Amino acid sequence: MKLMTMWRDALHGLTKKPVTQRYPFVRQEAPDRLRGHLVWNRETCTGCGLCAKDCPAEAIEVITLDKKAKRFVFRYHVDRCTFCAQCVESCRQNCISMLSDRWELAAVDKEAFLVHYGDEADVQAALAGEPDSGAPAAE
Amino acid sequence: MATEKFIIPIGPQHPALKEPGHFEFDVDGEVVTAASVRLGYVHRGIEKGAETRNFVQAEYLVERICGICSHVHATAFCLGVEKLAGVEAPPRAQAIRQIVAELERIHSHMLWIGVAAHEAGFDTLFMYSWRDRETVMNLLEGITGNRVNYSANVLGGVKCDIGPEQIDAILAGLEFLEERTRHYLDVVSNDALFLRRTRGIGVMTRDEAERLGVVGPTARASGVPRDIRIDAPYLLYKEFPVELIVEEAGDLEARFKVRVRELFESYRVIRALLANLPEGDLTTRIPRRIKPAETISRIEAPRGELFYFIKSNGTDMAERVKVRTPTLPNMASVVVTAVGHQLADMPMILAGIDPCFSCNDRMTVVRRNGERQSWTWEQLRQYGIEWYR
Amino acid sequence: MSTITALIALLFFPGGLVILLAGMAYEWADRKLVARFQNRIGPRWFQPLADNLKLLAKEEVIPQGVHRGLFVALPVIALSGALTAVLYVPVFGLAPSFSFAGDLIVTIYLLSLLTMCTGLAGANTLNRFSLVGATRTLTQMFSYEAPFLLALLGPALAAGSWQISEIAAYAEDHWLVLAQPIGFIVALIGLMGKLELPPFDAPEAETEIVAGPLTEYSGRGLALFHLGKGVELIVGLTLVSALYLGGVANPIAFFVKTLLLLVVLAGLQSLLARLRIDQTVGLWWRYGAILGLVQFLVLIAWEGLVA
Repeated sequence: MKLMTMWRDALHGLTKKPVTQRYPFVRQEAPDRLRGHLVWNRETCTGCGLCAKDCPAEAIEVITLDKKAKRFVFRYHVDRCTFCAQCVESCRQNCISMLSDRWELAAVDKEAFLVHYGDEADVQAALAGEPDSGAPAAE
Repeated sequence: MATEKFIIPIGPQHPALKEPGHFEFDVDGEVVTAASVRLGYVHRGIEKGAETRNFVQAEYLVERICGICSHVHATAFCLGVEKLAGVEAPPRAQAIRQIVAELERIHSHMLWIGVAAHEAGFDTLFMYSWRDRETVMNLLEGITGNRVNYSANVLGGVKCDIGPEQIDAILAGLEFLEERTRHYLDVVSNDALFLRRTRGIGVMTRDEAERLGVVGPTARASGVPRDIRIDAPYLLYKEFPVELIVEEAGDLEARFKVRVRELFESYRVIRALLANLPEGDLTTRIPRRIKPAETISRIEAPRGELFYFIKSNGTDMAERVKVRTPTLPNMASVVVTAVGHQLADMPMILAGIDPCFSCNDRMTVVRRNGERQSWTWEQLRQYGIEWYR
Repeated sequence: MSTITALIALLFFPGGLVILLAGMAYEWADRKLVARFQNRIGPRWFQPLADNLKLLAKEEVIPQGVHRGLFVALPVIALSGALTAVLYVPVFGLAPSFSFAGDLIVTIYLLSLLTMCTGLAGANTLNRFSLVGATRTLTQMFSYEAPFLLALLGPALAAGSWQISEIAAYAEDHWLVLAQPIGFIVALIGLMGKLELPPFDAPEAETEIVAGPLTEYSGRGLALFHLGKGVELIVGLTLVSALYLGGVANPIAFFVKTLLLLVVLAGLQSLLARLRIDQTVGLWWRYGAILGLVQFLVLIAWEGLVA
């Protein structure tokens, strides 16, 4: 039976630098695979809607303006997203990716949480087509 | 002679509990004479929620039953659905699932050491074990992309691969952790004051443990040789087995020792897997609609046996998902072992079973007029509908 | 002493305001040291000050079922006990403001006043956690009081006086820590018991009984208790260093010795797990009392031989 078995740790603690991270003045580098904010690439989207269907939180809506001409608008609810990356997996054309450097997503108002991806004109058209959406567009 | 009952309530809000639960201890001075427990504070209706979501969505719902053991929930669900669909995930995917599961076990046990030490008032061990736990969290973040709720599984395989970079990081991390774990085993087994708080406290004999049906490290600390990874191997546990870690004493010290020694087994299995990682795909095709069938899947979560019953009905949504988590049987043991101990031992005894209340709240037993009644599913639904009318 | 100097000593320096601030500074030093032992950063220098200011600004909630007068008066009595004790010990290396024969006993009694007020405060409420905490506080006080007193009487016996200033003057020439090592150890551990530091913090065990006797206190009452604890820390450290570590002749010696003692206390705090209350009592009544008695008997025998 020993007394004070952690004395070596305590001494080390005095001499070594403390491990507490002085966030937000010091930020740890995020690994490449960190699942942050979603980004949609409209070049390859076919409008199949599997991402919206498989999202467990119903955070994605694919608004089809013209399927033949491939005009889609991707609506993303950041506040509903659970960052599970199922949409990334479900999309067969690899349109969706998650940014590893955008993970500080707190905001002061709800507008930052409704993000639209797509061509400017398409987004305006989509918003115009809906009666009570007052959210601004973002690229 | 009439004696007044002096009841100390612990919970639903109490610094000893990390999640809400209600315990009532009848004390006489400092000695506990009776105990009772009431749960249900974190009931979220997940089983019902899984019925209205398709299998792909339900996997993520089920993963969020618990933060500490999220991967095993997802793995159990995926294994069950894959069994229903008649597919098997490719070997590389199974290996990666097993690696993440063992890393999660490491993280869970280190968290538990810290929390149990904090309940004993030994804050230094708490701080150091949680500092070392950061290593595992960073490893998991590097592999899967998140520190908690890893979402590594998809139906039919895994999402994330383990490349040479990750392998190097994991091996370096494991080396650091193994050295620290050896130090913690020394502290837990030899520190004089800590032993005064753990040796001989909360003793549960093997007979009691088998009668109460406890599972996991709590049972193994009382000499019950039960471990699903050995009794009913899943994933790649047949090729990369773990050794059964059993202690005989059945007190808190034994529970500490079992969990710390299990850490060494996890390190060994991960190293073996990384050295022999099978090549191949990460996923396999799985149909959206699963034909009607029922299945069970059993997994060794860090806390014990996790049991899933999944029933499909031909659509892409589950008919019924029933989850029985390990904390439920272990909770009964708290009430039994608490009697006769001092009040100061209560938080330690509770922490000794590694309670996870979020995993727990699944069933309801309703008392009416003092009698106990168990309701069937239909009765419960009817009651709910009428309540909101 | 003239009235003006007496008032200044009471309210401003070295009693009153300055000792309150010094108490907070020592509390910060203790928390910072414990944090560093645990490899973390610890609070910034103004944390205890900010805590107490915030508490003083908050509403005090008086729960149902308590005796209102007692509830409000107890923190005040506790703090005044601690502040009065300051007047008799050589804080900051200066001669005590008031000194008379027998003030060692009075000082120890005044420190116990604070502990008793804490216990009474816990017994005053209907909250079960407070009741259990109050029982534990008083039980603990009964257990360490006798050995602690014996340990402090050792230097008094060697110096042949019950007056702190005279004992301190005697101790300056004779380093009693070398002459009475057992007494020093008992005094140090006794100090940890008095201040309710881990491993003897069963009365305020956060994970078992929330906050012990002070669970129901908020706002001003809690702030006064915290300030009292800080002052008690300084008085206790001064007493042990003055008696055992060769007196505190000047401010530099005071700060060096008390801070050294604080480092030892912080180390012991972080390395030892909390003891249950029955284990604490067992420890004290078995080992503490015996060691204290042994030291005392050795001293008496020595005095008998030498004289």
